[in-house]
Amino acid sequence: MGGILNAPFPRRRRLRNVFRNTFRHLFRGAARSWRRNLGTTAPALGSMTLLLLLSGVVGLSAFALRGLAASQAAEAAVLHVYLRDDARQQDTDALRASLEADRRVLAVRYTSKSDALKHAQHRPGLPDLAGAADENPFPASLDVRVRSVQDVGGLAAAATGSPAVDPVLPTSYNPSAYQRIQTALTVVAVAGGAFLLLFGFVAIAVTINSIKAAIQARRNEVSIMQLVGAPRWMVRGPFLVEGAMTGSVAGLVAALVTLAAGLAGLAFGTSAFAQLAPGLTVGVCFIAAGIVLLAGVVLGSAASLVSVHSQMESV
Amino acid sequence: MQSTLCPRLSILLGLPALVEVVGATCRFGDIVALDDVSLALQPGELAFVVGPSGAGKTTLLKLINREMRPTSGEVWIDGHAAHALRPRRIPTLRRRVGVVYQDYKLLPRLTALENVAFAIQVCYLGVSDEEAHDRALDALEAVGLGGRDGAFPDELSGGQQQRVAIARAVVVQPPVLIADEPTGNLDLETAWQVMKLLEQVSRFGTAVLIATHNLDIVRRMQRRVVTLVDGRLVRDQPAGRTGRLAWAAS
Repeated sequence: MGGILNAPFPRRRRLRNVFRNTFRHLFRGAARSWRRNLGTTAPALGSMTLLLLLSGVVGLSAFALRGLAASQAAEAAVLHVYLRDDARQQDTDALRASLEADRRVLAVRYTSKSDALKHAQHRPGLPDLAGAADENPFPASLDVRVRSVQDVGGLAAAATGSPAVDPVLPTSYNPSAYQRIQTALTVVAVAGGAFLLLFGFVAIAVTINSIKAAIQARRNEVSIMQLVGAPRWMVRGPFLVEGAMTGSVAGLVAALVTLAAGLAGLAFGTSAFAQLAPGLTVGVCFIAAGIVLLAGVVLGSAASLVSVHSQMESV
Repeated sequence: MQSTLCPRLSILLGLPALVEVVGATCRFGDIVALDDVSLALQPGELAFVVGPSGAGKTTLLKLINREMRPTSGEVWIDGHAAHALRPRRIPTLRRRVGVVYQDYKLLPRLTALENVAFAIQVCYLGVSDEEAHDRALDALEAVGLGGRDGAFPDELSGGQQQRVAIARAVVVQPPVLIADEPTGNLDLETAWQVMKLLEQVSRFGTAVLIATHNLDIVRRMQRRVVTLVDGRLVRDQPAGRTGRLAWAAS
């Protein structure tokens, strides 16, 4: 009996024991506590998983939309000047030389009828059209990359006068269609950005509140630890690790589903997907999944830290 | 932690008081929970705080463990000014004060043994697992719970939880130990054993302050008795006296 009351504690701190005890308290203790309190954490885990999953899918969609906007802008800066089937070579060369000499032009590339057919065969809907005709319906063209999209109209007008140019459909320039695309893309970009911001705010708020509720249910634990004199890191640490674990599990599930959705989209609709979501590749899907996982860990830890901090303030 | 020693009573008396409450007053709105209470406890001293419900016993203990700050007055614990302590320094103070709570306050996710060992490693992070385990087990055996070390708090009765709480408080050999109704959930025999244990703790130099309603035990222990009524210290009866307890007589 007397032993426990007067046996002196070691004065020297053994570093190995300090490390071991710290690790056990922070990680093993947190893991065990996480398992024991899974019932309390489940709502937070569920809502986090769902929100992270939605964030992943919305993020991938936004990326695809951004890629689509970029490809549309790049497309709009290319003017296709269609050549007559019976155009003479010297007329074509003269037209090409005059276009290349123009300061508004970056580059001019010749596309033959057969190349035009090959390109058409890779575009959704056009392979049927290409196969339906007896002969190749696609004209040869000079593809002019212009410095500024605003110059496309002027160049189209200048090219139209050449004898090498098809009189029926001289160029790809369509002022009203171009305007519509630009307007649509601007609206989608603004609406998408606003939606993403709002969605991010909702995701963070819901996650913090769910974790706060889970920690609120264990406020006794926090206060007991403080009352027995546990240092602040010892009180916060396990909750931080538990939050990170909750976030990791939610993030991992959401990341896997995001990755699976992205890869499935790529695998099942290669050609259409490449057109609708240019730039969306396997690598991008993995990066998106990684971001979702990281967001889960950061969100879980931060929410736990904020919640346990507010609990600690009250003791 | 402020390390300035209280220059008052302890110096005047020539004794280093471990607990020194100087003119402490605690108000909650219009209610006065403690009214100008002064009290000093020397190393190795065991004292009881008695009084009717609402007399301010628990408030006094909370001041010592810095769960509350006095509205006015000072509280010095082992030379440190608890009343002026910054929040980040409170854990250091609490590691010097062992507390036995009326409602036990055991960590539900830890077993009885782990609860006791946790207190050891809170105070001494460098203690090995084996040593913490052995000391915790010794403490549990001392309170008669050697065979229940693996049980979680919700698997123990109220009395058993109380004993785990006592083991947790004494195992770190704190300079000050306070107990709020430590025998409230115990049968007479166990209560007496626990009192003997706390007496032993005080013999090793710990200042022990026990708030209780159990006047039988107070009388049998023949120790110093501080009586609080309506927040005021109405009597401070030294050890060895067997006079009537003021508030019980009224």
